[in-house]
Amino acid sequence: MICGGLSNVGEAIVMEPVIVRFFRWLKSSAGITILVTLVIAAYAAMDQGAYVIINILVTGGMWALMAMGLTLMFGVMNISNFAHGEYFMIGTLVAYYVFTPLHQHLESHPNHLLTLVAPVIAVFSAFVVGGMSGILTDRLVFYPLRKRSKENWLMNCFLLTLGISVILINAHQLIFGTQYKGIVRYWPLPPVSLFGVYISIDRLFASVLAIVTIAIFWVFMKYTKVGQALRAVSQDETGALMVGISVDNIQLLAMIMSCALAAMAGGSLLFMYPSYPTVGLEPLYNSWFVIIIVGFGNIAGAAAGGFMIALLQILTRVYVGEGWEYVIPVLLIALVLIVKPNGLFGSKVRGIWEK
Amino acid sequence: MLEVNNLNTCYDFLHVLWDVSLVINEGEYVCLIGPNGAGKSTVLKSIAGLIEIKSGEIFFKGISIGDKKGDQICRMGISLVSEEMNLFTGMTVMENLSMGAYTIRGKKKKEALMNFVFELFPRLAERRIQLAGTLSGGERKMLAIGRSLMSDPSLLLVDEPSLGLAPRVVDTVFQALEVLNKKGVTIFLVEQNVTKTLQVVDRGYVLERGKIVLEGSRVELSRNEHIRKIYLGV
Ligand SMILES: Nc1ncnc2c1ncn2[C@@H]1O[C@H](COP(=O)(O)OP(=O)(O)O)[C@@H](O)[C@H]1O
Ligand SMILES: [Mg+2]
Repeated sequence: MICGGLSNVGEAIVMEPVIVRFFRWLKSSAGITILVTLVIAAYAAMDQGAYVIINILVTGGMWALMAMGLTLMFGVMNISNFAHGEYFMIGTLVAYYVFTPLHQHLESHPNHLLTLVAPVIAVFSAFVVGGMSGILTDRLVFYPLRKRSKENWLMNCFLLTLGISVILINAHQLIFGTQYKGIVRYWPLPPVSLFGVYISIDRLFASVLAIVTIAIFWVFMKYTKVGQALRAVSQDETGALMVGISVDNIQLLAMIMSCALAAMAGGSLLFMYPSYPTVGLEPLYNSWFVIIIVGFGNIAGAAAGGFMIALLQILTRVYVGEGWEYVIPVLLIALVLIVKPNGLFGSKVRGIWEK
Repeated sequence: MLEVNNLNTCYDFLHVLWDVSLVINEGEYVCLIGPNGAGKSTVLKSIAGLIEIKSGEIFFKGISIGDKKGDQICRMGISLVSEEMNLFTGMTVMENLSMGAYTIRGKKKKEALMNFVFELFPRLAERRIQLAGTLSGGERKMLAIGRSLMSDPSLLLVDEPSLGLAPRVVDTVFQALEVLNKKGVTIFLVEQNVTKTLQVVDRGYVLERGKIVLEGSRVELSRNEHIRKIYLGV
């Protein structure tokens, strides 16, 4: 060992008080955006009732998970995934085919415990199969490409993900048909009352699951060794290799996590989005909206952006009318891009993308 | 400790290294000098496993590492301070250093290594919570060297540490390398600053157009006509 018996270097820098840092963050565009979002959400909740908040949490949480997956894949592998919605679709499909037989079994053999856990099993299966499809995609498509040539990587991957999307959509149609494969609800339980509104257990579960997953994901990225390795690879692939990180394994992991999160979102929203070949399109658009608004390479931004998009769509539906919920966000995105081309959360420090 | 035999490396169709052979013994301080574009960085990257070699052999402590990847080579005790430094710009100085110790097990050892780096470069200790992307050029270079040291390497490959640095910082870096060498770290240094390099190293190689054209001890190289004319300008 090169060192030994050397004295400790004292704390040279005193950390700024948290409150000062908080106020400085509030004055950044990310802070302002989040503050404005919270205010608008609070106003809408007072005006329309607290169900607005619940709806934001349910769908927003899932768009957040999808957008975090997109960010992860882009950051770590430099792939803009346009097949991300298809992993959502795989999630809905798996959850449907796991839950339906269980449900039928329960109709003839009532069992309270199984009634409670069957949806959890379905969503968990979606998560696991999503992760496995991530492994398959990486080993069949991106790993061979990485080995062969990194030239024109972005363009090649763009085309490849479009191809994967087409293949998966048509495979679904071929094997499972075009009919809607949906369920009425996961839990045959009465809705619970929260802050004066009734929420179905399905929605409650989806929103809690999303928030817990986001929290776990954040802690994982920030505090675990593997999470730090993921961040390191996204910031400098060569540097990561130089410090002994197995970049291939980390990239495979990013793919697994990204696909598993998307599939989990699909599985837990099955009661809203029945499975059919192109069910992934809406989640795909929404998660890309998030990325465009908040900017790439920012996991926390992606999480916040998911809720922002959901708020925007719900407000549009309530105040402007059904059917406008894609128009208004797109207009807003255009505005954001004119004012802040890097996205609202675009960081000053350059990542792998800008080099 | 390190033995390179007939190394050939290409970038696609550009054949850059032609039958490069060199030997570095344990504890030595060896330099590789040569004009821009000669392939010096390519030699270091080939050893560190960052690019595939076309043919030839590389042995480290008797083990063939020619076909190993960068992360495996780092685990064996070779660490590269690249010209571009490849820092994690969105992480703080401390985070960069702990990433450097990715292969190190044991908190105690990590802490000892980090204290050693901070002692070597007190400037880094002052900046420990600053993002690497906001450091000055000299500080980045120190951080790059510091991060390499965090993996407790036995062989340190350093690519042009003086490039673009103010003379005072260059002195700091060269002093640090000497301290490391005295502590038993074998150093393979690529440098353009030949005058300074030939004051500190034990031996050296000269690479021109991808071929080793000259090798010798510090004294031999300093007296060599070719070197005096081309590299030292006397
Ligand atoms: N990534 C690369 N792709 C293609 N050619 C490269 C690459 N890196 C270096 N080269 C070429 O290889 C030759 C040697 O480069 P390099 O090893 O960086 O030289 P040096 O470090 O001695 O200045 C140069 O002609 C350079 O243009
Ligand atoms: Mg060079």
